[in-house]
Amino acid sequence: SYLSVFCLGPGAGQDVGRSCILVSIAGKNVMLDCGMHMGYNDDRRFPDFSYITQNGRLTDFLDCVIISHFHLDHCGALPYFSEMVGYDGPIYMTHPTKAICPILLEDYRKITVDKKGETNFFTSQMIKDCMKKVVAVHLHQTVQVDEELEIKAYYAGHVLGAAMFQIKVGCESVVYTGDYNMTPDRHLGAAWIDKCRPDLLISESTYATTIRDSKRCRERDFLKKVHETVERGGKVLIPVFALGRAQELCILLETFWERMNLKAPIYFSTGLTEKANHYYKLFITWTNQKIRKTFVQRNMFEFKHIKAFDRAFADNPGPMVVFATPGMLHAGQSLQIFRKWAGNEKNMVIMPGYCVQGTVGHKILSGQRKLEMEGRQILEVKMQVEYMSFSAHADAKGIMQLIRQAEPRNVLLVHGEAKKMEFLKQKIEQEFHVNCYMPANGETTTIFTNPSIPVDISLGLLKRETAIGLLPDVKKPKLMHGTLIMKDNSFRLVSPEQALKELGLAEHQLRFTCRVHIQDPRKEHETVLRVYNHLKGVLKDYSVQHLPDGSITVESILIQATAHSEDQGTKVLLVSWTYQVGILENILFKHLCS
Amino acid sequence: MSVQLSWFVARARRRFAMSRECSLLLPRVCAALADPRQPGSDDTCLEKLLDWFRHLAAFDPTEKLVQDNPCLTEFITSVLALPEPSPSILSFTLRLAGILAASENRFQHLQQEKLLVRLFGRDGPLNSAMWEDASVRSGWVEGVHSMMHHQPALHFLCNGDVIFTLQGDPSLFVASAASQLLVHVLTFSVEAEATKPLSTKDCDWPASAQMIIKHIEDSLQSSSASHIKQSLKLLTSLFGSCHATWTEVLWLGIAKQIESFLTEETVQAQHMLANLLLNMAWSPVFCDTEGSFWALVTSALERLTPVQAGPLAVGILRLYKCPQDVRIQALTVLLQPMDCILRAASQPLEYTGLLDESVSDPITVESLLSSKSSCASLLCQTLAHLEELLSLIRLPVDLPYTSLLRSLITILQFCNGFLSPASPLGSTISRILINCFRVQRSALDVLAALSERKGCDTLIGSLFDVLLAYLESPNTSPTVLKKTFQATSKWLVRLQELSCSNSQWQQTEKILEDVFLVLQKRLCSPCWEVRDSSLEFLTVLIKCLRDQDEFRQSLLSSEVPRLTENLLEDPESYVRASAVTAVGHLAFITYFAPESPVIGNQCNKENTVAKLQEILSTDSEGFPRRAVISIFTKWLRQGCTGQLEDTEQFVSRVIQTVEHDLDWEVRRGGLELVEVFCSQTVCQLGLSECPYAPVSSAVSSSIHQNELLQIFCRAKVFSFLFRSLCDCDKPVGQRACDILLGLRDNFYPVSTLKDSQGTGDSPAGRGIAWLQRTLGQGSLAQNFPTDDGNGVDFQDPESMMIVLGTIDLEELHDELNKSSDHMEKSPQSLLQDILATVGTTEENEADCY
Repeated sequence: SYLSVFCLGPGAGQDVGRSCILVSIAGKNVMLDCGMHMGYNDDRRFPDFSYITQNGRLTDFLDCVIISHFHLDHCGALPYFSEMVGYDGPIYMTHPTKAICPILLEDYRKITVDKKGETNFFTSQMIKDCMKKVVAVHLHQTVQVDEELEIKAYYAGHVLGAAMFQIKVGCESVVYTGDYNMTPDRHLGAAWIDKCRPDLLISESTYATTIRDSKRCRERDFLKKVHETVERGGKVLIPVFALGRAQELCILLETFWERMNLKAPIYFSTGLTEKANHYYKLFITWTNQKIRKTFVQRNMFEFKHIKAFDRAFADNPGPMVVFATPGMLHAGQSLQIFRKWAGNEKNMVIMPGYCVQGTVGHKILSGQRKLEMEGRQILEVKMQVEYMSFSAHADAKGIMQLIRQAEPRNVLLVHGEAKKMEFLKQKIEQEFHVNCYMPANGETTTIFTNPSIPVDISLGLLKRETAIGLLPDVKKPKLMHGTLIMKDNSFRLVSPEQALKELGLAEHQLRFTCRVHIQDPRKEHETVLRVYNHLKGVLKDYSVQHLPDGSITVESILIQATAHSEDQGTKVLLVSWTYQVGILENILFKHLCS
Repeated sequence: MSVQLSWFVARARRRFAMSRECSLLLPRVCAALADPRQPGSDDTCLEKLLDWFRHLAAFDPTEKLVQDNPCLTEFITSVLALPEPSPSILSFTLRLAGILAASENRFQHLQQEKLLVRLFGRDGPLNSAMWEDASVRSGWVEGVHSMMHHQPALHFLCNGDVIFTLQGDPSLFVASAASQLLVHVLTFSVEAEATKPLSTKDCDWPASAQMIIKHIEDSLQSSSASHIKQSLKLLTSLFGSCHATWTEVLWLGIAKQIESFLTEETVQAQHMLANLLLNMAWSPVFCDTEGSFWALVTSALERLTPVQAGPLAVGILRLYKCPQDVRIQALTVLLQPMDCILRAASQPLEYTGLLDESVSDPITVESLLSSKSSCASLLCQTLAHLEELLSLIRLPVDLPYTSLLRSLITILQFCNGFLSPASPLGSTISRILINCFRVQRSALDVLAALSERKGCDTLIGSLFDVLLAYLESPNTSPTVLKKTFQATSKWLVRLQELSCSNSQWQQTEKILEDVFLVLQKRLCSPCWEVRDSSLEFLTVLIKCLRDQDEFRQSLLSSEVPRLTENLLEDPESYVRASAVTAVGHLAFITYFAPESPVIGNQCNKENTVAKLQEILSTDSEGFPRRAVISIFTKWLRQGCTGQLEDTEQFVSRVIQTVEHDLDWEVRRGGLELVEVFCSQTVCQLGLSECPYAPVSSAVSSSIHQNELLQIFCRAKVFSFLFRSLCDCDKPVGQRACDILLGLRDNFYPVSTLKDSQGTGDSPAGRGIAWLQRTLGQGSLAQNFPTDDGNGVDFQDPESMMIVLGTIDLEELHDELNKSSDHMEKSPQSLLQDILATVGTTEENEADCY
C-alpha cells in the first residue's frame, strides 16, 4: 500500500507563495488548502488545477477539500476553485475559519476590483456560494467524509481557528499541520496533537532554521515605537488586512494605553472591528487561557480606546494611531492616509505583514523614499518606516516538538525554502529515525506503508484451528488457513466449505498430470504390477494400492499405464496428482524415472 | 487589424517600451542579479522581469534590444561563469536567453559568443549538478520552447534525447512542458521546413519532425508502458492543437499500433486512448474521413468501460458531423446507466426502457452499479455528462427526455429511500445510494437542465412529489437543498407555462401551496445556509412568476412575506442581504402592484421602507447595505419610488446616507441610483428623448435647464458627485466622472464647451479655479472643500452650471481610468524595486498574509 503527496505550488522550484497539496491515501484523494499567491495579478496567482487530473472532473476525482486556516495563501483560491473551475464536492474547515474566511476574501476581492476593475476574479456572490458549501468542524470531532474517509481537526495556534488535520482511511493516516505555532502568544494557545502515529506528517517549515527573537521582544519594540511617536506628537499608520493581525495589535495597544493612561486616540478604519470582535467573542474557546480567564471579568475584545475612523479625522491635528486597510498600501484608505502623512518626519508607518512587489508598502520597506504616484507626482517619504513581523510559525524546535508528540512514521516538509529545509531534514532523520521528504512543487512523493488490515474470522474456523493447536496467545502471532472473502470493503477469513456455501460455488479439484515414458516390452498390466511392487518397496511410509481397474494409487496420486500408440515397446505412465501432495510427488517421480 | 486592437497593441508597446530610465537601470539590475553575494530576488520579480522581456522581444525582432543593452549578454556570460549559481537565477537565465533567441537576429547575436550552446548544449547545466533542481530543468525546457520560432533554432536542436527523457521527469511541471515543447517543435518543423505537401505516398518529413516521429513510433512499439503513455499524451495534445492535413499522414503510420492497445489491453492507458480519440474526432482532418477512424472510435466505445468511455461519448455527441452509428453507440454508453436504473426499479414486464436491447450490453453496467465502490462515481459521471449535453442550446442528438426524467426521479427516490424495489439489482442500488449527497446533487443539476426541454410534461406530478419530498426532508443537506431549490424554481416556471396552455390551474395551485408551506419552514431553519438559499429561491420565483395571478395569490396568502421581513434582522449578514433583496422584489407584488390583492394586509409599506433605510444607515456589514442600495435603484428604475414619497426627497435622503459609507461599493451603488435619477429627471423635463443619450442641441430650453439644475441641487446630487470624484477608492471616482460627463452634455453642447473652458477663471472665482486645479492635478487624495468656509456652494445652481462647464472632465476621466496600479506594473518600478532590495537582509517574504 502507498500514499502519495503532490504540491501544486507556484513554479517548479520550492517557492513559498500559496499552499495547495494533494494527498492520495488508500484510494482517496484529498486537497489540503487552496491558496492564492498575492504577488501576481494574472492566472499565476491561482494554482493550475489542470495538473490534478487529466481525466474526468475534479468533483469526481477529489473526495474533499480541507482548509487549514483563513490566510489567503491557504484559502484565497477556494471560491475560484469551487465557483469558476467547477469543483462541487465537500469542503471542510473549522467554525472560526468558516466565519472569518469570507471577510478576508471579500476584503481582497474589493481591493482587486477597485484597483484594476478585474473581471476574471470571483464575485461577492461566488464567495457566498462557496461558503455555503463548506462544512464546519469542531476540534477533535471525527468527521466522516464518506464510509471510509474520516478527518479530525487539532488546535494549531497561529491564527484564530487554525487547525491541523488528521486524514484517515482504514488504518492509514496523514496529518497536515497547515501553519502552526508551538508557543502560546498574546491571544492564542500553542498547537497540540495526540500521539496518533500517522504514516505521514506533512509539516510547514517557514521558520525551519530562522532563529527569531521572542515575540514578547517584538511586541515591546512595537509598543515603544508607537509610544515614542505619539509622545512627540506624531501620527502612526498601521496598514492591516481586515482581520487577524489587526486584532492582535489592538489588544496590545489597548492594554498598553490602559496601563500607561495614554490619551491619544486610536482609530480603526474599516468598520470591521465590530464584526471581527464579534467573532473573537464568539470563538473565545479558540483563544488562549489568559483571554478566556479575563473574559469572565471583562471582554478583551471590547476596546475602550479604539474608535471607528472617519475620513475627516486624518487631518486632525495632534497625535493618533490609525489601523487602515489594505495592508500593503496599494489602494484605498491606507494609501490615502499614507499620502497625507508621508511628508512629516514626526509620523511613522508600521508595516506588520508581507507586501508584494510593486506596492507602495514593498517600496518603502525596501528603503525607497521618493515614490512616483499617479500623474507623475513624486511623493517624498519623510515619515519613519518600520517593519514588524508578528507572524506565528513554529521554528525548528517547535517542528521537532510536534514530531515528538505525533510520532509519525514519515515526515514531509512543505512551505519552506530548500536550503533551509535540508538542515532540518537531516536533524529529523537523525533524531527520530524516520524518512523526511522535501519535494519540489510539481513532484509527487510516494511513501510505502505497511497497513495492518483487520480481518474478521468466522467462529467455526477459529474453533477448528484452535482445536488443532494451542489456544490463541496475544504475544504469539499464529498462522491461520482459510479462505479470504473480500466483499463490500470488508475482509473475512472463513473455512473453504463455508466460502463455497456463501458464494454459492461448487467445489472443483485441480489435478496435475504428467506422462512418464518407460522402455518395457511386457504387457501393460505386467508393467503396472512391476511399478506397483517397486513403489511398495521404496515408499514404505505411504499407502500404495493396486486398484481393480488396473491403476495404482500412492496416497492421492493416481498412476495408469498404457502402451504407446506407435511403439508397443514403450509404456506411458500417466501420473496425476493434486496440488496438495508436494514432496511426495517429487519422491515418486525420482523413483519412476530411476 | 481592428482599430481597437491596434490601439491596445500601441498602448501595450508604449507601456512596456524600454524607456531611457529603464535602460539606465537595467545594467545595475543585471549586475545585482548575477552577483552571488546578493540574496536571491523574490521569484515574482524574476517572473515579472521575464514578462517584460517577452513583450520587448515580441514588439521588436531586431537585434536592437541586445545591441543597445549589452548588459543582457554580459549577464548571461557572468551567470555561466559562476561556479555555483542559484537554481532560480540559472533558471531565469535559461528562460531569458530563450526569449531573446526567439528572433533569428538575436539568436545569431547570442551565438556569436556561443552563449546558447553553453546554456543549452551538452556542456551546459544539463550535465552539471544543477540539473538535479527541477526549476533548472523547467527553465531549460521553457528556454528552448521560447526560441523555437525560426529554422536556425530547429537546427540548433539536432538531438531531442534530452527532451524525450524529460517527458518522464519526476516533476509533473517539467514533464508536461517537455511534452508541449515536442508538440511545438514537430508542428513548427513541418510548417517551416517541409518543402512540399506531405502525403502517405510521398512522405519526406523534415529532419526535426522525423526525429520526433521516429521517437513516437519507437516508443509505441516498445514494451515500456511509461514510454507508450508519454507518446499517447504527446499525440493527444498534437491532434488537439494542430489540425493540419499532415497529421493524418502521421496517424496512418501509427494507427495499427494504437488499435492494438485497444484490443490487447496490455497497456493500461484506456483513459489516454479515449482522450486521444476524442481530440482526433474534433479535428476536421479526421472527422471528415470515412471508415477506419470511426470504426476505431466505435470499437473504443464498445471496449472501454463505461467510466473510461464516458468523456469520449459525450465529446462525440457534441459533434455535429459524425456518422450516425457512432453517435448511437456514444448515446448507448451514456444512457446505459440510466437505463439500468429504470430496469432495476421496475418489474420486468412493465419496463419500457431507454435503450434498444440489441445495442445495449447491460451486464458490465449492472455490475458497476451494484458495487459500492463504483456505483456513485459512475452515476455522477454519467449525470455530469448529461448535464453538459443538456446545457447545449442546440443538441446534435435527440435524447429520450421522458425516460431520462423518469430515470432521474428514480435515482432521487433511491437516494432518499422512497423507493425500495423488489428486484435484487434495485435493492442493491437503493441500499448503496441512500443518502448519497454526491449523486443527489448531480441528479438535481440534470433535473434543472432538463426543465428547458419539451416532452417531459406527463411526469410533472411525480416530479414535484420528489422535489417536495426533498424540500421537506430534514435529511436533505444544505448543498442538496440549494440544488433542489434551483431545480424547483425552473420546473415551477415550466409548470406555469403548461398550466397556461392546458388550464390545469388546480394542480399548479396545489403545488405552489405545498412549495410555500415548506418554504415557510425552511425560512426558519437554524442553518444560515438554508435560510439564505430559501430567500434566494423566493427572489428567483418572484422575478420569474410575478405576473401570474395564482403565484401571487399563493405567495401572499402564505406566511412567507412576513417571515421574509423578519429575516431583515437575521444575525447573519448574508441572510440579511438576501432578505433585503427578497423584500425588495416582494414589494413589486405588494406595495407597487397596481391591483395588489392584499394591499395593506399584512405588510406595512412605510415600515418596510423605513427598515431598509435603517439597514442602509446602520448595518455593520456591507452586504445588506449593498443590497438595499441596489433594491432602491431597482425601484427607482421601475418608477416605483414615486409611490412612496417625493422621489427627489427619497434620492436626497439616500445620498446623504451612502456618501459616508465605508464600503466603496455602497457609495458606487449610490452613484448608480443618482445616474438613474438624473436620466429620469432629464427625460421628464423633455430635455432628452432617450434616458442615456446626450442631446444634440442642449440649449433647447433654458427654463427647463434651470429647473433641472435646481432639482439636482436640492437633491444634493452635485455635492455627492463632486465629492465622489475625490473618493479614495477609484471605481467611485470613475463612476462619478462618467455621470458628470453625461450630465454636462445636457447643459453644454460640445461646440460651446471648448470656448468656455478656454476663458480662464470663471465668474465664480477662486472656488471654481481651486476645484479645477485640485481635480485637474489629479490630487485625489486631497480632501474636498466643505460647503462652509471658502469652498464651493453645491446648492447653488448657477455655480454648478459654471463648474460643469469649467472642469476638464475628459482629462479627469482619462486620468481616473488609468489603472491605479499602472505605476505598480511599470517596468521602471519593477527595476527600481529589484535594485532597492539589493543589500537588504531582512526577510519579509516569509511572513504570512
